[in-house]
Amino acid sequence: MFELFSVTMVALLVVVAGTAAGIVVVRIWRRVRNNRLAALAAGPRRALLAFVADNGEEGSEDLIAIPDDAWRASLPAALGLLGKLRGDAHAALVSVFLHRGAARAALADLHARSGVRRARAAQLLGDLELREAVPDLCGLLTDRDHEVRVVAVRALGRIGDAKAAWRLIASLDQHDPVPSLLATHALVQMGRDAEVVLSAALDHPQARVRAVCLDALGLIGATGAVGRMARVLAEDDILDVRVAAAANLGRLGARGALKPLVDALDPPAPDLLRAASARALGDLGAPAAVPALAAHLDDGEFQIAHEAAQSLRRLGGPGLVELRSRDNDHCREALALAEPELVGAA
Amino acid sequence: MRDFVLAVLRGADYAVFAYFVALNSSYLIMIVLASVEFAKHLRRATFAGADDMFRSPLTLPVSVIVPAYNEGAGIVPAVQAMTALRYPRYEIVVVDDGSTDDTFEKLREHFDLVEVPRVVPSEVPYESQVVSVHVPRGDKGSLTVVRKTNGGKADALNVGINLARHPLVCMVDADSVLDPDALLSVAKPFADDPLRVAACGGVVRIANGCKVVAGRVVDVRMPRSWLVRIQVVEYLRAFLMSRTGWSRLGGVVVISGAFGVFRRDLLVQIGGMAHDTIGEDAELVVRLHHYLRDRGEDYRVIFVAEPVSWSEAPSHWKVLGSQRRRWHRGIAEILTKHRHMIFNPRYGRIGLVALPYYLIFELLAPFVELAALILLPLGLWADAIDIGFAWRFALVAYGYGLLVSLVALFIEEVSFHRYPRWSDMLRGVVAAVLENFGYRQLLALWQVWGAAAAWRGRPAVWGTMHRTGFDTHDPTPVETVGTPTSGDVEAAVGAPKSLG
Repeated sequence: MFELFSVTMVALLVVVAGTAAGIVVVRIWRRVRNNRLAALAAGPRRALLAFVADNGEEGSEDLIAIPDDAWRASLPAALGLLGKLRGDAHAALVSVFLHRGAARAALADLHARSGVRRARAAQLLGDLELREAVPDLCGLLTDRDHEVRVVAVRALGRIGDAKAAWRLIASLDQHDPVPSLLATHALVQMGRDAEVVLSAALDHPQARVRAVCLDALGLIGATGAVGRMARVLAEDDILDVRVAAAANLGRLGARGALKPLVDALDPPAPDLLRAASARALGDLGAPAAVPALAAHLDDGEFQIAHEAAQSLRRLGGPGLVELRSRDNDHCREALALAEPELVGAA
Repeated sequence: MRDFVLAVLRGADYAVFAYFVALNSSYLIMIVLASVEFAKHLRRATFAGADDMFRSPLTLPVSVIVPAYNEGAGIVPAVQAMTALRYPRYEIVVVDDGSTDDTFEKLREHFDLVEVPRVVPSEVPYESQVVSVHVPRGDKGSLTVVRKTNGGKADALNVGINLARHPLVCMVDADSVLDPDALLSVAKPFADDPLRVAACGGVVRIANGCKVVAGRVVDVRMPRSWLVRIQVVEYLRAFLMSRTGWSRLGGVVVISGAFGVFRRDLLVQIGGMAHDTIGEDAELVVRLHHYLRDRGEDYRVIFVAEPVSWSEAPSHWKVLGSQRRRWHRGIAEILTKHRHMIFNPRYGRIGLVALPYYLIFELLAPFVELAALILLPLGLWADAIDIGFAWRFALVAYGYGLLVSLVALFIEEVSFHRYPRWSDMLRGVVAAVLENFGYRQLLALWQVWGAAAAWRGRPAVWGTMHRTGFDTHDPTPVETVGTPTSGDVEAAVGAPKSLG
């Protein structure tokens, strides 16, 4: 037993000393590497900042001429800028990346064995807003790696080509789909060109797809889809989808949304939908909604009465008149938020 | 008879040794799992999409709930710092839990608060009375301050949950300093996997010794006191490494009350924070597992290592003792309350792996440590073991513990490199050694005391937290005595351990 203990002690001593030495080695290696990278990147970083400051009008040749090792050292800064810039400066920086062969390499990397490389490539192609990459990026929507699919969706959104809308919607109807919010944002970035596809997808059998399309239609302001959205609000089998329809009808602010939302305020609509409709009527901004909302200020369901009061507040003038005429906690709260200077300042 | 007693003593010594080896091996496994997770996280940083999340109009808004009890010393800078977090849409709900100092007055003066009538729903139960609700004059809902009668941290959080308007709820201690991107990072898993992520915790690090400017930690340094330096190493091992490892295994049962995000609808469904335990934050997560497993839901509770909440650690032995008694009491209460989940296959990894682990290697560890301190000398005295065995036993057991701490420091160095000064890293290594001489043993004593208090049903006593603040070193005693109240509350289960 003693021997075992002794051997273990020696082994422990060696490993402890090795770990301590490892900390020192990592620290020295990090310092040396950082110094080297900082020295290499210093020039290119200055050139990049000058280039961006000039809105990309001058200095692109200097950036293209930077040696590969120095460019690699400054790549994190360049990619950071690429993701943040918009307009002419972005276009100019994209042209620098294209001249350096970044797009070609990224397109090749989309088929790499490593998921990290595929995702990085997709991210870069999205940042470059390269429309030629859309078919390949659509291919990644069914990638085996969830993270790659997520990056592909973001990249397609950044590129904003509505041709990818249907593929993106279809990718929601698969096992382990990409997050709904991410898909919605990408579809919104595709703009009004995607409206027809989104509107058609409201008949998709998958509830999740219908909900995403409703959100996207609401956010892009697709007023032409009000009729179809109202039908979903009234008839869909899934409560969450109906709630999404109510919220987005309110967001659209179209006159045609008033009646379907008012109809959804009353039973037999479920309470969750009634509350969502009350909130949506406030977003709609139509003074004609005041009587319907006022009728629910004393609703037995907390959330419905609360949303009705808050919506009346958001409707302004006529809504505030109605709130002032009631002796109700929800009304007092809504009025206080509308006119905080009038209450409890002492 | 004597031979039998000697054999029992010898056997007990060997059993204790085997326990130490198993315990430290489990820590080492967690650290290895954590390092894999860190590597994965760092490789993915370039395409994680944090900027996209920040820009997206669809990013889920968050209600940040800040329970405060006698936090007058630092409440204004804390709230100021929270208002400057990088996140597209969030509100801050400060719940003043019946403070007897000037916590509210300072908030009112600084933020120009006006009282508003507000209907507080009772979606989750609370026992105290809401006195008043205040918002800054002309504010559009970014800050709400609630005054209530004292009811404890759990009660304050429940009031905050009731008032929260957003689908995600972030619980933050009033004395915490968050990194600017902390909220963005800890809420990101909800954006990436909104259907399954039920809760997400962020790492808590020690702020003592760090330079804090305008509510931001701008210079990370080791604290001046060796007592706190030892805690820094403990936090790295237990909070950062262990919880990241558990996250990889799908067995997170602790999200610190100092920094965690939850889906509000789930909090409402499970009834919010429990009033009957001192470790209400950990109990909440265990109850969440219980609820979701019972319903057969596909869900995830995860821990992310990158967003950091900086908290002040006790710099006095007395305060540390009080804290550790409280934490271990929390472990005992939670494991007792949810004992039917332990070794129960119905609860999957939580019932078969995570909770049994916390029972054997968290709750029982200080008992075994103390047993070792008694059995080893006893064995020597009774000639059950000889001196050669005893010192080898001690060296191997403590040496393995030291190795675990050093590996944690190594992984920290490779992954995050938060302590850039050579002197700070050296102090960390020395602290890992010093931890074994008196600190662990005293901690074990306090922990046994805490667990015993839970089982005997004694009322919880929270002691006094001396806040030194982050910028100044003027001790500002903050009273947190009596029944459970808000203040320096930390996760009970998975707290830094004295063994290893």
